[in-house]
Amino acid sequence: MKMKSMSKYFINILGCLGLLMGLSAQETKSNGIDSLIVQKKYGLRVGVDLSKITRSFLDTDYMGFEINGDYRLSKNLYIAAEIGSEKKTNITNYLNSTGKGNYIKAGVDYNMYTNWAGMDNLIFSGFRLGLANFNQTLNSYTIYNINSLTWGQNEMVANNKFSGLNSGWIEIILGFKTEVLNNLFMGLNLQIKGRMFETNINNFETIYIPGFGRTYDSGRFGMGFGYNISYLIPLYKKS
Amino acid sequence: MKKHYIFLLFIAFVYLGCEKDDVCPSTTQTTPRLIIEFYDITAPDQIKSVPGLFAIGLDSDFNEVPIYNELVSTRSSIALPLQNNSSQTQFKLYESYDIINSTVNGNPDIITVTYEIETLYVSRACGYINNYSIQTFSIGSDNDQWIINSEILLTQVINENEIHVKVLH
Repeated sequence: MKMKSMSKYFINILGCLGLLMGLSAQETKSNGIDSLIVQKKYGLRVGVDLSKITRSFLDTDYMGFEINGDYRLSKNLYIAAEIGSEKKTNITNYLNSTGKGNYIKAGVDYNMYTNWAGMDNLIFSGFRLGLANFNQTLNSYTIYNINSLTWGQNEMVANNKFSGLNSGWIEIILGFKTEVLNNLFMGLNLQIKGRMFETNINNFETIYIPGFGRTYDSGRFGMGFGYNISYLIPLYKKS
Repeated sequence: MKKHYIFLLFIAFVYLGCEKDDVCPSTTQTTPRLIIEFYDITAPDQIKSVPGLFAIGLDSDFNEVPIYNELVSTRSSIALPLQNNSSQTQFKLYESYDIINSTVNGNPDIITVTYEIETLYVSRACGYINNYSIQTFSIGSDNDQWIINSEILLTQVINENEIHVKVLH
């Protein structure tokens, strides 16, 4: 069921973006011709991650919000950062836990896309350093016992909160940003993350790290994506 | 066109992210049962099978609780699941168990195990298991006792590969 709604969601995103790209392409054809010296807009771009907002409404186990921004340093180089807050409850057959906290990510984006004159779209790759400060609550658990049919199985309510947890990671980011209206950008990005450190929890472990996402038994890698809408506050122009 | 490939790549990655599921592998050490091995009272080093051995659990109100997968058979060891919401479990161990005309025949003896429970974290997929530290193992006396004596060999019950209690009969 979840997969189905996810796929619907992505098809929607695809549809929207396709349409938006078409629009932006038309717009720039008329814009590009009338100036001979093409100047690029420099400034601060500020936005939010729409996927986190959408998911907060659709998924009762999730609450999240992220503000992101980038600042253009040169033709193709941007410094970029995200700050956010997430709360996620993970439920498996044996464990029910909630991770909650804040994160900050900072790094650079490099534009690999050669724009037509007057256009300022990006296909970029970059990296981030991420840091999270969070807490995790073991809500309840069921003892893993394959011989439980004799005496029955009880779900134990724990409500055990582990506070002051930290984690740090690096991520490689790949994505694009398209100017859909003047100074208004929409974009999608994918993040591949590698966890570098985390606070050890006695007789438990981190299940969900805000900003990083869920953790796996198999390793310290994670994945994430963002669907951003952002506005460029133009500060100056440079050719 | 180039952009469409990137879209597809995104979708593929996102799906990979969703697919990765948490299923507790069946090879994971589960909450262990108590392992009892039966020895000869006349030669305490010799393993001696119990003819028609059959075990039944007893709850705190002394009601009989059938043990899952427990069948009558002649054998020299038995694995007994301990209760996780109590620090004591009782069992009725039958020698020569048989049902004739819906009447239970055989010689039942009652054993009582007391223990401390330690809950240990295993993994994201499996959560927690319980280990036990045996405190006492006692045999209820009756006129026709087939279990004569017992000895705790290993107080820490952490797996089912080792014998925890030796019973002499």
